[in-house]
Amino acid sequence: MTAMCFSTPAPVARRVRAYFSPVNRAAQQPVLFDPGPQGWFDLDNPPAPWLNLGFIQNFVRKASSKSSAIAAGIPAAPLEQVRESIGAQVSLQFLAWTKLSMALATASQHMNMIAPGAPSAAVRSDSTASTIVLSAGDAAGFSAGQIVAIDHDYSGQTGYVGSPINGAYLRQPLTDVDYLRRITFNTGLVAQVTGSTLRLAQALAGGAPESGVKVQAIAGFVDREGGSFYPEWSGLFVMEGVQGERIIFHYPRLQPMASAEESALPLAAKGQGRLERVILNAQFLALPVTDPLDNERIVCYRSFLPAPNALV
Amino acid sequence: MQNAKDSFYIALRNRLAALNPERTILLRGAIRPGILVEDAEAPFPQLPSDVFVVRWLGHGADIEIASTLVAEECEIVYGTCGCQTYGGLDRGRALSQMDGELLAILQPFSTPKLRFASQPPGAMLTQVFWDEPVFSPAVAQRDRLTRSAKVMVYSYQEEGE
Repeated sequence: MTAMCFSTPAPVARRVRAYFSPVNRAAQQPVLFDPGPQGWFDLDNPPAPWLNLGFIQNFVRKASSKSSAIAAGIPAAPLEQVRESIGAQVSLQFLAWTKLSMALATASQHMNMIAPGAPSAAVRSDSTASTIVLSAGDAAGFSAGQIVAIDHDYSGQTGYVGSPINGAYLRQPLTDVDYLRRITFNTGLVAQVTGSTLRLAQALAGGAPESGVKVQAIAGFVDREGGSFYPEWSGLFVMEGVQGERIIFHYPRLQPMASAEESALPLAAKGQGRLERVILNAQFLALPVTDPLDNERIVCYRSFLPAPNALV
Repeated sequence: MQNAKDSFYIALRNRLAALNPERTILLRGAIRPGILVEDAEAPFPQLPSDVFVVRWLGHGADIEIASTLVAEECEIVYGTCGCQTYGGLDRGRALSQMDGELLAILQPFSTPKLRFASQPPGAMLTQVFWDEPVFSPAVAQRDRLTRSAKVMVYSYQEEGE
């Protein structure tokens, strides 16, 4: 007789994958992940608006919720339990330095360095997330290999700025017309310049450019120790078991809580070399949301999708 | 563990055939993908060149979990003298190519477990999975460069195994 099921021990997983999506700060709207219809998503192509940050390491979840007992009687004995506070923290290490991973690993505003003397050029409305259309004359000012930032000219607005990913909070107006391109997450590497078109090597994190935005060359990225802005993201972490099962951790609201910090990871075994990989440490504070299912306040969800044929 | 070992070998063989169809070996009158299991062939006076030889070493089991987890250490040995056209001067390049091919065929690090007692092989319920390979330094013996990689292969014992 052929067996139809098997009993599974604890899942065996190799690495953890991380996905993030920006929280709409002005609307206080995190991105909620529903593991029922979405749990078996293609791990290399997550559903919109999730951004794939690839494999991470040293993923540690720490709950800081506190419960206490209400005692009654003589002698007192626990009668009920109440939850005094809810909270959680997540820490991890990113294995790559990118605009997104740097920003996520910093409890501060993350900025783009405008290339010296770089002019900004108007982006035409027929552009897409990976193809930026300019006038032919403007396109001649760009070349393959440049990194570009795409966003509106700053025109004195205050509050959360940067769209669709909020990159900063301004209390008072500034005079820097390039400011939004300094804090935008719509950055990309120019792979090819053809006529009036810049073809990007990767799609813009914020999707197709909005009408009226401009493109400007940048030299790199910078973050600062200090400041008052805390970015906020929705986070999704997936452990894929070797039998096909999945453990999914979803934090609707995560704010980086540690200053920019790096770790050195030796490339070879101890004593066998001096090369070290510099990896980004990230630590997040989970903030609560109200679960639309039953109006309970929660900070994270843990979902388990069993392996095919596994006993449950 | 035999089903796991067979599944592991067949997965690597199929992946190699897809990756580099030109890496073949004439064995027992048949041309096959260039990977073989040492203990399933007649003893070799010298391991064949430009072929991956799968060798099974240590064995272990964890019986204190819901399904017994068995592990077997696999050593994959390969060597090359380069090609005659270049008088063997390309043996370093040829070894590098084999390094790359081995790393490629070991990914993804799992494959469905099959039962090969019948034809066609029957699908079992679990996956065979393995760790990242650990490569040894290349060893030069006259005109021949050899290297091995060790991989720990794991499998859950199923009913009837």
